Amino acid sequence: MTDRLPRAAIIDGKAIGAKIRAEVAEEAARLSGQGWTPRLVSVSVGDTAAAELYVRNQQKQAEGAGVAFEARSYPQETSLEQLIGILQGLNHDPRVNGIIIQRPLPAHIPVKALQKAVHPLKDVEGMHPASIGNIVYNDLALGPCTAVAAVEILKTLPLKIEGLDVTVIGHSEIVGKPIAFLMMGLGATVTVCHHMTRSVAMHSRAADAVFVAVGKPGLVTGDMIKPGAAVIDIGINRVDGKTVGDVDFASVAEVAGWLTPVPGGVGPVTVATLMKNAVLATRLQMEHYRDAYAKTDI
Amino acid sequence: MTAKIIDGKAFAADVRARVAEQVAAMKAAHGITPGLAVVLVGEDPASQVYVRSKGEKTREVGMNSFEYKLPADVPEAELYALIDKLNADPQVHGILCQFPVPPHLSERDIIARISAEKDVDGLSVINAGRLATGQKAMVSCTPLGCLMMLRDERGDLSGLDAVVIGRSNLVGKPMGQLLLRDNCTVTMTHSRTRDLAEAIRRADIVVAAVGVPEMVKGDWIKPGATVIDVGMNRLPPEEEGGKGRLVGDVDFAAAKEVAGAITPVPGGVGPMTIACLLANTLTATCRANGLPEPEGLTA
Repeated sequence: MTDRLPRAAIIDGKAIGAKIRAEVAEEAARLSGQGWTPRLVSVSVGDTAAAELYVRNQQKQAEGAGVAFEARSYPQETSLEQLIGILQGLNHDPRVNGIIIQRPLPAHIPVKALQKAVHPLKDVEGMHPASIGNIVYNDLALGPCTAVAAVEILKTLPLKIEGLDVTVIGHSEIVGKPIAFLMMGLGATVTVCHHMTRSVAMHSRAADAVFVAVGKPGLVTGDMIKPGAAVIDIGINRVDGKTVGDVDFASVAEVAGWLTPVPGGVGPVTVATLMKNAVLATRLQMEHYRDAYAKTDI
Repeated sequence: MTAKIIDGKAFAADVRARVAEQVAAMKAAHGITPGLAVVLVGEDPASQVYVRSKGEKTREVGMNSFEYKLPADVPEAELYALIDKLNADPQVHGILCQFPVPPHLSERDIIARISAEKDVDGLSVINAGRLATGQKAMVSCTPLGCLMMLRDERGDLSGLDAVVIGRSNLVGKPMGQLLLRDNCTVTMTHSRTRDLAEAIRRADIVVAAVGVPEMVKGDWIKPGATVIDVGMNRLPPEEEGGKGRLVGDVDFAAAKEVAGAITPVPGGVGPMTIACLLANTLTATCRANGLPEPEGLTA
């Protein structure tokens, strides 16, 4: 009997996130120097306990990177019309550069209606149809944070992405599909699998890189992975009080070349990407304002 | 086995007949006539032919056709003023600007100027985003036509393996989106793909949209697969002074011996484009007036 050692290099999402945050802090300082300190407003509605941990984490990370952060909570019974009015107010407020809509929302509030109401230039979560459309057209401005984070992680590996065979498992609108478009824009050949796919294993085994974003613990096992492939696990599931991804870590670590852990993989990079979007949005707004001002006849 | 040859002309005629039927019903029940505005800048002969043909087909299905011809040197502001006017006109439900436009104009900015609800070519960033996020979108005409043919041929597409060749904004990308929405497992391939033959060998559905004559070989096709050829390539003439043959991106003669069904070039996908433009105009009219979407004519 031989000891089976993990062969995969475990990707350190915290370190990647810290590097991005350091760049964000520099850019935030530059913007502040020009009178444009980036400022995020977080909007929570109803029972905020579920999202509280996220909000507090975002606040901590924002403030650490020189991005102002204001957390607002509205009561459960706030109507959709009132919320859209609130968002329109934030859209028009020049002191606000980015708007975050915390989930879960109360059942009577459709999340898409709120996402559409955020001005595309302040859409730091990258959820507005215009933001997604720009990704489809390979014109990345503000992308959905989780998808962008997952792709940024892959880009840190010594792999040539052009021509790479990539399989994305899960075709959600905010993670799976944007990853597919981002990777295709970078020149990868992308296959998108989902719950109706007949043989996920056939496609995942053919791939040099696999992204998993389904929300099912243990979905991807070592026998589904090509030896040496990169595996990016985007799932976040609670099992027996522990946080795990969609990947069966033990078996995949024996086969893959690189693997993200959960927690500590995509998560920290996602929050850092939100901050990156915040400084990017601020710069876009500054340029937009200056451009408009330059064209004004006085 | 020899493949069924999908007759695009007959298919398109059937789509147009269904559009005409629903236009007539809409007029009778609601007094609304769908209207399509086509803007042509300059005097490109091929564009003039397209625009004339679109106008004729629009009137044939009982819609209003509004045609605008602007000189090649029209200032951008003047074109935008026309688009703004059409955006605001309740008689106009679809607007399309015939491309290419002269170099002093930006196709991208023109598309962005057209109201997303009237963008019947489905080219705007907003419509691409709406399609990607599962919202009601205007869908680019050619991929919509391909989808209609595939549904007609295969019924429920769920679980089928589909390969799209080409990643253009006009065809490849929306085609991939539409197939995903119909629950296919979709592989998007393109010029950088390492082993195209291998990807195609796994596919139940192949949509080729690259513009390389007869690039897809017959022995790449999985027996029984449905092959949709969007390519339209003119080969060099075989004899001097002659006209070269028109071929698709698929080696038709070889592929039809293996495939289950295949579209020819010409006479396959081509005729579907205008039919789908009319279907989109009808869809836009329904949405503008709060009526239910036309059945069997949307994505």
